[in-house]
Amino acid sequence: MQASRARLFKEYKEVQREKSADPDIQLVCDDSNIFKWTALIKGPSETPFEGGVFQLAFAVPEQYPLQPPQVRFLTKIFHPNVHFKTGEICLDILKNAWSPAWTLQSVCRAIIALMAHPEPDSPLNCDSGNLLRSGDIRGYQSMAKMYTRLAAMPKKG
Amino acid sequence: MSKRILCKFFAHGACLKGEHCEFSHDWKDPPNNICTYYQKGVCSYGSRCRYEHVKPSWPESSASSSSTISLASRPTSSGVTTVPGVLPELSALSRPYIPPNKPAWSLESMCDDSLENGEIEELEPRNLKPADRSICSFAAAGNCPRGEKCPHIHGDMCPTCGKHCLHPFRPEETEEHMKSCEKKQKHLEALRRSQEIECSVCLDRVLSKPTAAERKFGLLSECDHPFCISCIRNWRSSSPTSGMDVNTALRACPICRKLSYFVIPSVIWYYSPEEKREIIESYKAKLRSIDCKHFNFGNGNCPFGTSCFYKHAYRDGRLEEVVLRHLGAEDGNTVIAKDIRLSDFLSNLHIR
Repeated sequence: MQASRARLFKEYKEVQREKSADPDIQLVCDDSNIFKWTALIKGPSETPFEGGVFQLAFAVPEQYPLQPPQVRFLTKIFHPNVHFKTGEICLDILKNAWSPAWTLQSVCRAIIALMAHPEPDSPLNCDSGNLLRSGDIRGYQSMAKMYTRLAAMPKKG
Repeated sequence: MSKRILCKFFAHGACLKGEHCEFSHDWKDPPNNICTYYQKGVCSYGSRCRYEHVKPSWPESSASSSSTISLASRPTSSGVTTVPGVLPELSALSRPYIPPNKPAWSLESMCDDSLENGEIEELEPRNLKPADRSICSFAAAGNCPRGEKCPHIHGDMCPTCGKHCLHPFRPEETEEHMKSCEKKQKHLEALRRSQEIECSVCLDRVLSKPTAAERKFGLLSECDHPFCISCIRNWRSSSPTSGMDVNTALRACPICRKLSYFVIPSVIWYYSPEEKREIIESYKAKLRSIDCKHFNFGNGNCPFGTSCFYKHAYRDGRLEEVVLRHLGAEDGNTVIAKDIRLSDFLSNLHIR
């Protein structure tokens, strides 16, 4: 408990210090609970998510960093490795390939990389996975782009 | 004289001198908790030193705390037994100018004039061989107040520690000192360089952790990434979550995922493969001298078998002899048989 708190505090200070280091990631800690974090990440360019801003919710366990944080998308996203309803993410480093050397910041970077390189063979969103596996890249891209417009971009007045 | 200061070895329950100790074995006496390194100028432990860092209030005798004692105890240890009756004389002499209610280290006893009129010379007759004469401990500790007039030999300066503590007529001693001094210096240097290194698990500087037990590195045998010993041990012993493989996740380096089978604790970080090998060898040598609790002098069974780092010796000191049994497996390969016990077969047997 004490160790996880100390480590999260270190990460918090690091985030404050290097706010502008990575313009694609904005990590914010909950005001009253250091175990709750939210992040805003920009959709990577040259993907259907370009131009969108996606919100992530982090729930950090007390055994952190020996156990991975639980991360999910709060913003709706059409991606084979993200559950369409719950926002759950299927990513090895958040499950069996976790290592205590990862930080919340680096997890965000991994998620951005996952958005650019979907893994259709272990899908949480079967519709999205099937589109990719059947080779319908255009169909996948237009679906993903539509949901990015609908959910991850500011509404045009 | 120093009977009024609590012996620090006694305080830890391990004074080998017993009743012959120059220091007090009475819990009522106060311990001398002042860091002598700090008083001499530099204490490499800085704010983490367990001794008190107070500046000496007496400018002349900053070095006298240790030297008073060594001077007083010298007659018993060196070859002065040839001069009978010196011992009681000395203690009688020392009594008048050492008030018993004052701790010995706060005295300027050695700058006292009464010592300059020749008792010391009596202690060490001129006819001794130069190699048998001891060197001046004041000069060795920093400066000798008597300078040129000092009746003792002033040692040569050690190039490493800068103290005049090398006996000019005892070459073996000099060599030994130089060797240990260089080793010490190297260790301090390594310790200084290791200060900045951070653990990638807790993101703290390893050598700035609050307790001494935590201020240790855990080196991995197969890669060069630094961690605290507690962090890396916690990670390696944490219960694997579902689907986590012990060998690919827990026993791998958290950074490069290279598999290491053991962790080596070390107070310093290394900068070359040789230094690392040295740390590992000394760690293994230390473990080899400890009896394995699983093997238990032959009464137990060690799960690590031949690869155990601890000593496998019987009560009579005989080391365990290892005979590997090779078995031909069905597919033609040879496997090494783990210990086969009759009880394993019996437990599977069903008696009808």
